[in-house]
This record gives sequence, structure tokens and C-alpha cells, in this order.
Amino acid sequence: MSKRIWQHPEVPADETTVAWRSAGQLQDTPAFREWLDREFPQGAAEMADEADLETSRRSFMKLMGASTALAGFGMAACRRPESYIVPYTKAPEWVIPGKATYYASAMPRAHGATPLVVTTFEGRPTKLAPNHLHPDASGTDAFAQASVLDLYSPSRSRKVLNAAKPAKRADLNAAIAALAADKSAKIGFLFGADDSPTRKRLTQELAAKFSAAKFYQYEALTAESAIGDGVKLVADFSKADRILSLDCDFAGTDPQGPVTPFFDRRKPEGKAYAAKPDASKMNRLYTVEAAFSLTGGMADHRLRISPSQVAAVAAQLARELGVAVAGSSAITDAKHLEWIKAMAVDLKANAGKSVVLAGSRQSAAVQQLALAINQALGNIGEGKPLLVLQSEVVGLGSLATLKADIDSIAVETLVVLTPSNPIYDAPADLKFAESFAKLKTSIHLSDRTDATAHASTWHIPAAHYLESWSDARTARGAYTVVQPMILPLYQDCVSEFELLLALLSNDGKLLNGEGEKGAPSPAYTAVRKTFVALGGEGDVPWKKLLRDGFLAGSNYPAATPSSREITIAPVNAPTANALEVIFATDASVYDGRWIDNAWLQEAPDPISKITWDNAALIAPKTAKALGIYDEVVETEPVSSVLGLEGKYGKVGPDGEGENRKQRMITVTINGETLEIPVVISFGQAENTLVIPLGYGQAFDKDDELGRTPANQSHVGLVGVNRGFNAYPLRTAATAYFASGATVSLIKGKTYLLALTQEHSAMYGRALAREISTIKSDLDEKGDFKKQLANVAKQGNDSHAPPNVYLYKPETSATWDPGKDGKAQPLINDPLHQWGMSIDLSSCMGCTACMVACQAENNIPIVGKEQVAKGREMHWIRMDRYYATQKDNTFDSDNPAMVPQPVACVHCESAPCETVCPVNATVHTEDGLNAMAYNRCIGTRYCANNCPYKARRFNFFDYNKRNPLIAHNLYKGPLGEKSVGDPDHLQKNPNVTVRMRGVMEKCTYCVQRLKDAVIRQKRGQKQEVLVAGKPSTEMEVTTQTLRIPVDSVKVACQEACPADAITFGNLLDEEKSALGRSKHIERNYDLLNYIGTRPRTSYLARVKNPNPDMPDAPFIGKATIHMV
Amino acid sequence: MANIFPRWSNLLPLKIAVCAGTAAAGVALAFSYYATPKTLTVGYQPSQPIPFSHKIHVDQLGLDCRYCHSFVDVAGHSNVPTGNTCWNCHQHVQRESPKLAPLHKSMNPTYPGYDGKPIEWVRVHKAPDFVYFDHSAHVNRGVSCQSCHGDVNKMEVVYQAQPHSMAWCLDCHRAPENHLRPLEEVYNFGYDAATYLSSNPQLGVKTTEQLGLKLKEQFKVNPKTSCATCHH
Repeated sequence: MSKRIWQHPEVPADETTVAWRSAGQLQDTPAFREWLDREFPQGAAEMADEADLETSRRSFMKLMGASTALAGFGMAACRRPESYIVPYTKAPEWVIPGKATYYASAMPRAHGATPLVVTTFEGRPTKLAPNHLHPDASGTDAFAQASVLDLYSPSRSRKVLNAAKPAKRADLNAAIAALAADKSAKIGFLFGADDSPTRKRLTQELAAKFSAAKFYQYEALTAESAIGDGVKLVADFSKADRILSLDCDFAGTDPQGPVTPFFDRRKPEGKAYAAKPDASKMNRLYTVEAAFSLTGGMADHRLRISPSQVAAVAAQLARELGVAVAGSSAITDAKHLEWIKAMAVDLKANAGKSVVLAGSRQSAAVQQLALAINQALGNIGEGKPLLVLQSEVVGLGSLATLKADIDSIAVETLVVLTPSNPIYDAPADLKFAESFAKLKTSIHLSDRTDATAHASTWHIPAAHYLESWSDARTARGAYTVVQPMILPLYQDCVSEFELLLALLSNDGKLLNGEGEKGAPSPAYTAVRKTFVALGGEGDVPWKKLLRDGFLAGSNYPAATPSSREITIAPVNAPTANALEVIFATDASVYDGRWIDNAWLQEAPDPISKITWDNAALIAPKTAKALGIYDEVVETEPVSSVLGLEGKYGKVGPDGEGENRKQRMITVTINGETLEIPVVISFGQAENTLVIPLGYGQAFDKDDELGRTPANQSHVGLVGVNRGFNAYPLRTAATAYFASGATVSLIKGKTYLLALTQEHSAMYGRALAREISTIKSDLDEKGDFKKQLANVAKQGNDSHAPPNVYLYKPETSATWDPGKDGKAQPLINDPLHQWGMSIDLSSCMGCTACMVACQAENNIPIVGKEQVAKGREMHWIRMDRYYATQKDNTFDSDNPAMVPQPVACVHCESAPCETVCPVNATVHTEDGLNAMAYNRCIGTRYCANNCPYKARRFNFFDYNKRNPLIAHNLYKGPLGEKSVGDPDHLQKNPNVTVRMRGVMEKCTYCVQRLKDAVIRQKRGQKQEVLVAGKPSTEMEVTTQTLRIPVDSVKVACQEACPADAITFGNLLDEEKSALGRSKHIERNYDLLNYIGTRPRTSYLARVKNPNPDMPDAPFIGKATIHMV
Repeated sequence: MANIFPRWSNLLPLKIAVCAGTAAAGVALAFSYYATPKTLTVGYQPSQPIPFSHKIHVDQLGLDCRYCHSFVDVAGHSNVPTGNTCWNCHQHVQRESPKLAPLHKSMNPTYPGYDGKPIEWVRVHKAPDFVYFDHSAHVNRGVSCQSCHGDVNKMEVVYQAQPHSMAWCLDCHRAPENHLRPLEEVYNFGYDAATYLSSNPQLGVKTTEQLGLKLKEQFKVNPKTSCATCHH
């Protein structure tokens, strides 16, 4: 029974940092103790509740007995089944069976396309990676990584709908042809907010053909530019020494230009650790925001303030910098005033090298003000950190004008091409659905059968961007091609251009996919025609475009922003009786369009760590003021059976995770109410309530709260019964935030939220380490140099004895020479020794790595119920800690947020290997801790012995049995099989798909390593051929066989927009970025003092505070102890 | 009362136990010997849609392996030729042979039963799904096709010549010198190490064993035996 638990040393008494993961831990609730003590919560390994209902142990035995008996009849199947090899009849160019082919493409998006390199196997796209050749390359975020799954989504729209009922393609063709023939049609086009040169050209042709045509643009959470039609501000972070974000999540959901250069300057040693640490080369980020965003987590100085007050802060700053602002707004809080004044001095001192960014969803006045401040500081222009560019998205009407035009019958036919879902996500007071119903004809093109699809006359299934020819512009306007990787999976899928071209053609014939008789899609011809005007005639520039993915030197021209007089009126700060509600962009579903993407749903929200749902977030003090804090934190119901007190007293009957339900509140605002679960959120402005948008789109009979089944055909299994829809609360005037909300706790109503913030909670001292570039008078940590030198001695590492290598090295007393008397180094490959470093100074915690890993390594999703039990399968997890200073006199409720990605660290002296009874986890010669799935018998000893909690166990056959079908996992062989679902086409053929009962974990993408090494070995033969001499005379050296420096990238590293993950061959030493990162002072091993010798090390986070700021003494000390 | 069991029955339980034990041991031994790839898969010789003879194409006509298996040295998977590869020659050679009916069906648009669908060759050598064997890693480092596939050049109908079990793989990974050849000889089915040595005296090697060791040293062949080498 008793498990020997390593007693981590106590945190010393003089430690001023307090760190925690969740409100539960801060309150030290029994449930959190439970998570910390165990690999999986008590009872998680047994079939409980549902199992008892569906399959009892007895019925299971019966079943198994019967199937064993039946197996006897099947002995004939012992013969080897005949399988076939089916080659092509005519070999397509470039396709080598079994080898990946890579193509440049791009994902079109509102803030500028994401340039991509797509991995395809025999024409089947499986994985997306950023295109590093591209001038606007900036890694990928979770949305881009997960978008490949949309292509294979089982719930993807496949059939033409007419008035929400399946219709014949021929009828649609006739309708399109009739429309194309009517040149006087009152036709409107509703586009998304992304920029595409071909669309621009076709728009002009449409305007010429249809005299009454009107064009609009709408995406739910993309605001219009406040500084001129199509004028955008794009930051060049490589030139920005000081950055102020006014409620702008430029690193997360509100990009303002390629963000990788920003993160390069978070590293004191510079990009790829090439230089000596120099604090003056780092940038400094000030953030003013309400609730933690990814950007806010990176801030050196963060002011938490409700969104309505941001304008006043901007106005105060403008006044400090001598910019004229009308209106009587004023900052009343003396601390805030001091903060702003000190920041203003710093911005002024760095005039021309600083940038002030306003959140795109803040009011036009704040945008204007930010522009005026940048102009006053001289930050704008060529060679400066901010560019004003003229995009081609101009002359388009808004959703409000569209509504007016429909109502005045200026538009009778509407073609809806936006990726948003206006029937569901338009501001409630606009009553857009009512006007939409008045349209004579509406044609909706989308890959989802969402609310708008159901409201439209015609719904056409859209081709995915990986299936269609298109083009796009990135943040700075580089012309970027969107290439199809595969023909549309379903024959009715039509791309946007194919539809527009059909309307433009004389006969109105809708050609999609391959067109007729194998001719290229008409969209191909259209894109090529657009390109000729930009890049020139002929195949040479076109092929270069296809290879590189972009046209060099095709950026947007500079623009002159329109400015006007700015008035900032004072706005009352929210109070406990009149809260401010923030309608937030969700990190999983964005505006609701990705509700059916299982990878995004299962990836925890980077801040709140909620999976599969949304919830209202509230600051602890506000919750206390409302009198709901105790109920919200004490989420565990008292045991109904025993009513025990003490350590496990308040955990449910068997302590299972799924009993941890959240309380629900009623939010009333704008005359509407919403019932939603509530979660405590740290670092959030007082009297604000954050509600992420995009959920609650459809419900069925399995809904936990018994909500009326509705809209079931709008979503698939992934998106049904997910969260709560906040769009009805939102009006056009309060599209981002609304004030005057009231909140009340609903007695006795709870909702299961799958929160991962306490999962895989580790013990340990100095897990994540943070230092500051300045000296603080409050402690003895010293200046930057001294703090750097002390990184490796933080926590227990200052006084723990040096590690003894258990594997008998030559110098140790236990050394046992082999037969030849020479040392037998266990890890003995002289060519490659793999290693990784993770830089906490640039990691913002965005979860792109988690999704990239899921795509690369065939990691299944497990569904909400299983996540709640702590069974999520992500090989790399994103820990998120909060830490504050006990003596923080500036704002003790504004902790630092420290993300820390943790995957298997590939210990050289791995605790998991020694306990495996079947040698299923062993070390390889090149230093990997390998997992042989076929040997694994599922004892889970290894996971129990892993101090990093990096191992994941397949409790069910998640790949074969869809975990999203209610109770399906518990039905065993009777459950519904999902073999042959379209999403299985996404699987990486070079990675085993694991079955039930085996352990798995990060492999350092061993399939990529093997591929790189084998490719290098092939070069040997190449050398023989080139040299023209016999192979027996050829010299093979280490250089022949060792892969080039930094030539292999693992999936998480490749995806990272912050370049926080460095991977490589340790034997390359200083030549490689990895080698350099291992030798800098910030490098430390996680849990070094337990002697596992991990191959993945971490680099301490560095904060670069301004010593003159009032909160400076409390910055840069968030070293995390979890004891 | 007479004894129900006669005297001889005293030893009966023992006899039964011994016989049953022997039988069980026999079954176990037989199973562990016969239920292995060595007996179950060696010699597997399915009939193919076209009775393609490697003997004619390789031995008599002298085609190189890579004429048809064209990606064996660049990819992990050794491809089976596309219909086009066969048709290149057979639209001229032996065009009317009835054995080529499936090829006509697949490639010849003027053929009555033409459907343009590829030929379904029956797989002979199959590594399990969890094994990631890479052809290019072997043939470019001096391991011949012949080492694993046997004398394919002599086969009228291809059969599996070697067990392809994990133990068999490891035999070579532990002692690659037994199978290494100079790179020029990898695709040469007529290769004989002794003949090669006698015609290349400049190598300074006396025995074929020494040749293997010399090549291993020179090519720096150091095959791995850890799990992740093949399983990931």
C-alpha cells in the first residue's frame, strides 16, 4: 500500500514568492492534494459509475468467455491473410511511395495569412509547419496547426442543402446559372476579412458584370480599421525596444505583425543564443489589460484595469507625451498615475524605437490615440518599428450596412463567403437573422453546416484551403500562394473562387475540383492570371512562387493614416453591482468557427486551462465582494455516503475527478441573462467578468444540464453540448465589453468543467525559474550578472550534493569494464546524442506545440469526461503557474503568470526504465528514452515512477472507439467502432497508432530523427558516385554520417512562434543553437536534485523591468516552488 | 467386498500424468518451433495476377533490381513497379501473351476489358505495422537485396526465403560483417565474396570474413539494436 514518496525539501522561510496553479491549490483543497499525490486520481483506473451501468465485471466475463469459445471456430483465420500491393498505373511526378513531399501554401486569415509548408504522404496532407523562407514567417499558432484536422472532420459539410434539406447538385447548378444570367440582379457578396488579390480582381469583374452588385465584409471578432479604409498598422518587433500594449493580445488572438522577432528579443543572448547575455538588447513590454492574455503573461510591467478604463490610461499617457486629447478623463488612482508617468518617461527616452499597440477591438478613439502617440514618438515609417500600410481590403460595407441594404431591398440575393457565422454571431441588437430571412435568395459557402447554412436558401459545402487554388496576403502584404494538396475529399465541395467564377461566366456553369476531363480548376487559371500582373509572365516566376510560396518584394504600399481630433470622455469604473463583461475571443474556438475541431477543443485554454467548454472568469476579490468566492472554490461536493471530515472528507464518494463540478451563476446584461459556470481567475481586473464567445451552438439529449435539444445538425459530435452561448448578450455598441452586469449564484446548480490546471501537478523546488535584469533593494539577489550566475543554484540546487551517475561510469567505484577491459558507455552513439532546451523567457504558453505534437504523433483525443479524469493524452503539456510576492505593495492581486511546457525530458538515468518489468521502455544509443509499444503490458509502473509526470496511458482504445459518443468507451467490444472515419486519413504513417493498454510519451519525434539520419547515410553512396572510385577506397568519416548542424526539427519546435524550443545534436557543441543554449548560465535541469540527468533542460525566464516603475521591485522573482 | 479397482490401477494416475505431461511438452515444443516465422512464413509463395518471372527478367535479361523497384535506394519503402513500367516494354514485347491480360486491362485503352485500374499484386514480404524498416538505409550501406530476399533472380515465382523475424533481423544487426558487400555489388545477385577478393588483391584482405570486417570498419557501419531503431 505504502508508496515511498520522495520528500521534497521545504521551501526556506525567507522565500518571498508564493506560487500556485489554481484557486484550489491556493486554498489547499483536498482535491488538489489528491492530484499532487497521485499520478491519476483515486479510482481513475477502475471502471466506475458508467461502467457499472453499462458493463459489469460479471457481464464482461460472460462476454469474454463467449468470445473465447467462438474464437475456436475462427481458427481458420490463423492463415496469413492475403494483402495486396497496388501501385499506380502511371506514376505521378514527385510521388515516392512512403516518402513525404512538402509544398508551400498558406492559411488565409483576417490579420494576414499564415505561410505554411504542408507535409503530404502520397498526396494526403497530414501536417502543417511554418514556411521559414517567408519574410512574414512567424511560426504557427494552435489554430493553424489544427486546421489540417478540419479537412478530415467527420462533421464537415459534404452535401448541397436547399432550405436546410439535402438537394441535388443539378438544381444548384441551375440556380447558379440563372443568377449568372441576370446581370441586373440585386446581388450582394459578404466576404471574410482576409485579403486575397484574386478575390480583389474578381470583385472588380463582378462589379462590372452585375451593375447592382454590392460588397461587404464581416468577421465576428474582427473590427474595422479606425485609421482609414483598409489602413493597417503593422509592428516590426525587431526594431521595437519598448512596447506598450493597450489591451492588445498581439502574441495571441490579436496579431499586429510577425511576432517571432518580439520573442527573439526576450532572450538576453539574442536569436539562437549567438551572443553574450546583454540586458540592453532585450525589449521591454508594458501591458494594460483586464484579464491575462498570452501577451499580458509576457509583460515586464502589467497594469490590470477594466477595458472601459483603457481609454483613460491611453489619454493620460498621451497628455504625458504632449499629445492633445479632448475630454475630461482622468486617472484617479495614484498608483496607476505613477505607473503611467514612469512608463511615459521610458517611452519618451526611447522615442523612435518604441511602439504603442491598441487592441483591435478597443474603440476607434483608443486606436486613434495609439496612432497619435506613435506619431508623437516618431515610431512610424520606414526603418521604424511601426508601419502604416494600405491593404487591398477596401470599399467593403459592414454587416450593419448590409442589413440596411437588405431592408431597403437594395440587396435581394446574398452570397455569404465569410468564415464567420452571422446568423449565430452577429450582434444581438442588429437582428440580422430577421433581415436575412427577407432575402430572395441566399447562397452560403462554408465547410460547416452551421446556423447560417440552415438559414440560407442554398448551402454549398466549401473546399478546405488545402483543397483549393487561392492566394492571400500576409501581415505586411507579401503575395502568398494557396496551393491545393488534394482534390476536394467530397465531390460537391466548391471553393470560393470557383463559385465567383461560375457567377462571372456567361453560362454560369459551376466547375469545381478538377473541372472537366481532368482540366485544372478554373480557380487555378484565375490565380495564375492575378499572378501574371504581379510576378510576370511565364513558368519561371510561377514555379518559383509555387516552390517558395511567396513573391518577394510584393508588400503593401505605405499609407497615410487618417487622424481626427480625439475625445476621451470619463467612464465610470465597474463596481461589484455593475460588473463589466468582456466578450473574449476564445483560444479554442476563436469566434465559434472551430467548435467542431477536436484538437482545439481538447487543448486547454492557455490561461484558464478549461477544455471542451467556456466559463465566466472572475477575480478572487470580486468573487469575495459578491459573496460567492467560498462556494466557487469549494467545488467538491461533500460525500453523500459517509460525510467524512479530514483529508479526503470533501472529495466525492471515491475521490474521482469528475465530481469536481463548478458552480453556476446567472449573468444579466443588456437585458439578457445567461447561466454559465464560474471559475476564479487570477490577475484579472476587479469587477470584470470574462466570457469567451463561440460556444453553445447545439445541444442533444445527452446534455449534462438537460438543455432543450436544438440545432443538432449544425455541429458534429465534437461541437454538440459545448459550453454557453454569450452572443445573445452582445450588442453592436458593446461588441467587446459591456458594463452594468449583475451576477448571482444559482443555488445547487453545478456543471462539470474539464479543467487541466491541476493535472500532472508536480512537486519540486524551483521548477520554473525567473530572474530580473535589475537589482532589487528588497532582497540579496544582486544585479543581472549575479542573478544569471545563480540560476543553476536556485531552489535545492544550491546545497544538494552533485549527482552520481548510476550507470557505472569509468571513474565511479561501481565501474565494471566489459570483456575487452574498456569502458562500456551506455549511451554510445558517437554520431548523434539528442537534446533539447526550452526557453521560458520566450515561451508564452500558447499551446501551438501541443496541437503540433498531436498532429505529428497520432495522439488521439479522449473527450471531456476522460479529460476530467486526468486521462488526456498530450505528450507535451503546458503547465501554467501564478506567482506573487508576499510583500507586493503595488498590486498583490496581479501575480506573474509563468507557463512551462513539460514533455518527457529523456533522462539519461531514467526512473521509468528501471521499473518496467518487460523492458518496454529502454534507452537508445543516441540518448532517447524509447517506448516499445508492442512490449508494453500496461502495468503503469513507469508512469508512477516518473517525477515529471510525462507519461500517458491509453485507458481505452481511443483511436478505434470514438470517445465522443456517449458511454461508448465503456461498452468494450460492443461499442461503436470508428475505423474508417475520415480523420484517420490525417494519421502520420511513420508513427504507430497506439491501442488500448499501452503507455506512451514524447519520443523526441524519433521518426523525424531516423529519417534525417538515414537520409544522411544515403549520402555515402552519393559520394562514391561523385568521386568515381570504388567504394572500398572511400573514406567514411563522422562528418559523412552525422547530420548537418540544426538540420532536423521536432514538431513542437517547428510550430513554436516564439522559438522557445531548441533541439539538436549535443555532439555539435557550440556549432548548434542547442549546444550554445546548453552552455549559457540560464540553463538548468528540471528537478536536477533527484539525479535523473534529463536531456531536456530549461532556460530561466528573464524579466526586464524598468527600475523607475513603482512595481519594479516585485518583477522577475516568480521562481516556482511546489511543495 | 471385492476391490473395485484392480491392483494395476494403482499406478494409473501417475501414468496418465506422465503421458499428459509428455504430450503437453510435445505440443509446447512443437508450437514454439513451428509457430515461428521460420516455419510459418518462409516459403510463402502466393500466385500473382501475372505470373511474373524474376528468373527471366533478372537472370536471363539482366535487368537491374532498380529498373522496377526504382525507389529502393531513396525511400524506406521499396516500390512495386507502376503499370507504366511494365507497359514500356510489353507494349512491344510479348504483347499478345495471354498471361499479360491484367496488364492490358490496366494499361491498354484499346483492350476490350480495359478499366485503367492498377494491378493488385499479392504481398509476399510483410513487416508488421509497428516495424519501420527502411530499404534505403540498408542498400546504401552495403547490404544486398539478396541477403534478405534470397536468390530472387532464380525464382520463377517469388517466395519468402528468409524468416524476417525480429531475431533474424538482430542476428545481422549484431554481426553485419557477415552480409556487407562493396556498394557496387549490392544489386549483383551473382556476387561471390571469394571471387571478389581474388579479383581485387589490392584490398589486402585474405578471407571473406576479413572482407566483411574491413567493410564494416571502413563504412563505419554500426547498426543499432535498441527498440527505437525499428519501432516508433
